[in-house]
Amino acid sequence: MDSLNKLWLSTGLANFESGQVIMMIVGCLLLYLAIARNFEPLLLLPMGFGAILTNIPLAGFSEVGGLLHFIYYAGIDTGIFPLIIFMGVGAMTDFGALIANPKTLLLGAAAQFGIFATLFGAIALNAIPGIEFTLKDASAIAIIGGADGPTAIFLASKLAPELLGAIAVAAYSYMALVPIIQPPIMRALTTEDERKIEMAQLRPVTKIEKIVFPLGVLMMTIFFLPSATPLVGMFCLGNLMRECGVVDRLSSTAQNELINITTIFLGLGVGSKLSAEAFLNIETLGILGLGAVAFSIGTASGVLMAKLMNKLSSTPINPLIGAAGVSAVPMAARVANKVGLEANPHNFLLMHAMGPNVAGVLGSAVAAGILLALVG
Amino acid sequence: MEHLNQLFVEAGTLMFAGMVFVFTFLGLMIVFINVVLKRLAIKFPDAVIQTRSARTNQKTKQNVDGVSPNVVAAITSAVTQYRKQHNQPSSTHKTK
Repeated sequence: MDSLNKLWLSTGLANFESGQVIMMIVGCLLLYLAIARNFEPLLLLPMGFGAILTNIPLAGFSEVGGLLHFIYYAGIDTGIFPLIIFMGVGAMTDFGALIANPKTLLLGAAAQFGIFATLFGAIALNAIPGIEFTLKDASAIAIIGGADGPTAIFLASKLAPELLGAIAVAAYSYMALVPIIQPPIMRALTTEDERKIEMAQLRPVTKIEKIVFPLGVLMMTIFFLPSATPLVGMFCLGNLMRECGVVDRLSSTAQNELINITTIFLGLGVGSKLSAEAFLNIETLGILGLGAVAFSIGTASGVLMAKLMNKLSSTPINPLIGAAGVSAVPMAARVANKVGLEANPHNFLLMHAMGPNVAGVLGSAVAAGILLALVG
Repeated sequence: MEHLNQLFVEAGTLMFAGMVFVFTFLGLMIVFINVVLKRLAIKFPDAVIQTRSARTNQKTKQNVDGVSPNVVAAITSAVTQYRKQHNQPSSTHKTK
């Protein structure tokens, strides 16, 4: 009888706590979103599975000595995984559209207003009983508005590791929801005529420009914002490998095998932070709400900046491309193209929107560097 | 409440400093692209562009002589095709 009792006590059924069950359901929900709805599946799938693994009673995946514990501390706590992913993103990014039309950098800058405005929202939530966000927490939450997963994870792991799970889930969920969140804001802030604006064809960009660009960006970051050099430096390394044309094997590895392997571990590591005590609280709801606000403000400020530039510039600028300034590459650029095509079936904005889109990646890395320098 | 107000002031300062810095940084990048990269592009044009300009030069040179190489190439290929299709000796064509 004793052994039967012992056997029963060693089963998961006897040890489940309600919080663990709820978190396993959350994990399954993430799997559903990844598999059935195709919402950022590359990250939500390992993240959802990590959430299930970390909530298994007695298995100790996230306790000291457990697999997920090692993955988290080796790759996320140290900031290595997001940085490797950033290198891969750099190797996949073509700055041609940005170099051809450098004015679009201003759109990438304007869209970062979503990040800084959300700081206020996060602080304001402190008025609700049960929520207590410090300035570091608020900064980590606000970076969701940068619509850049690796940047959000990197900054959260430095400023508010206890909120990492909720911030990563919010960041990737909203990035997947870009085609739903952005179009209504874009339509509300632009007129039909503005959406129809056709832009001049981009000039061809030479190889030397593409090679020198990442080096120049790195130099500027070294001079003016060294706290952003981990992110920008890895991004520029990846981009230089892509553009120089002499290390195709390394470039291919950075944008395929390496980024894929790291994504698996990054997802699992973030999933290990989805424990009941860290996730099931009112602060998570606040983070999810603020994430949506950050995205919306970022989109709106990008569009408004593009409208202003269209008024002042000698060459026409379609305000829709401003929405791509929130980064979320290449989804936001595709959305700008799609909304533009609805207004004018002959208007292809994709390449024009790629400029602010990659400017947004740089902008959010710079914003993260500023937050690290001032709050970290 | 006072603590909250202080946080708001800090957040406001952060927002102002952050936006000014982001605009300045990315603005400097615009200057870098317009000043440095554009000059580099003029000094070191791509090989493809060089070939194109070489072709253009050739074209203008022969245009001065009176017959464009494109026209010559088009006529040659049309004649070859015609001969193949009709299987006629080249002398007949010449007589015609």
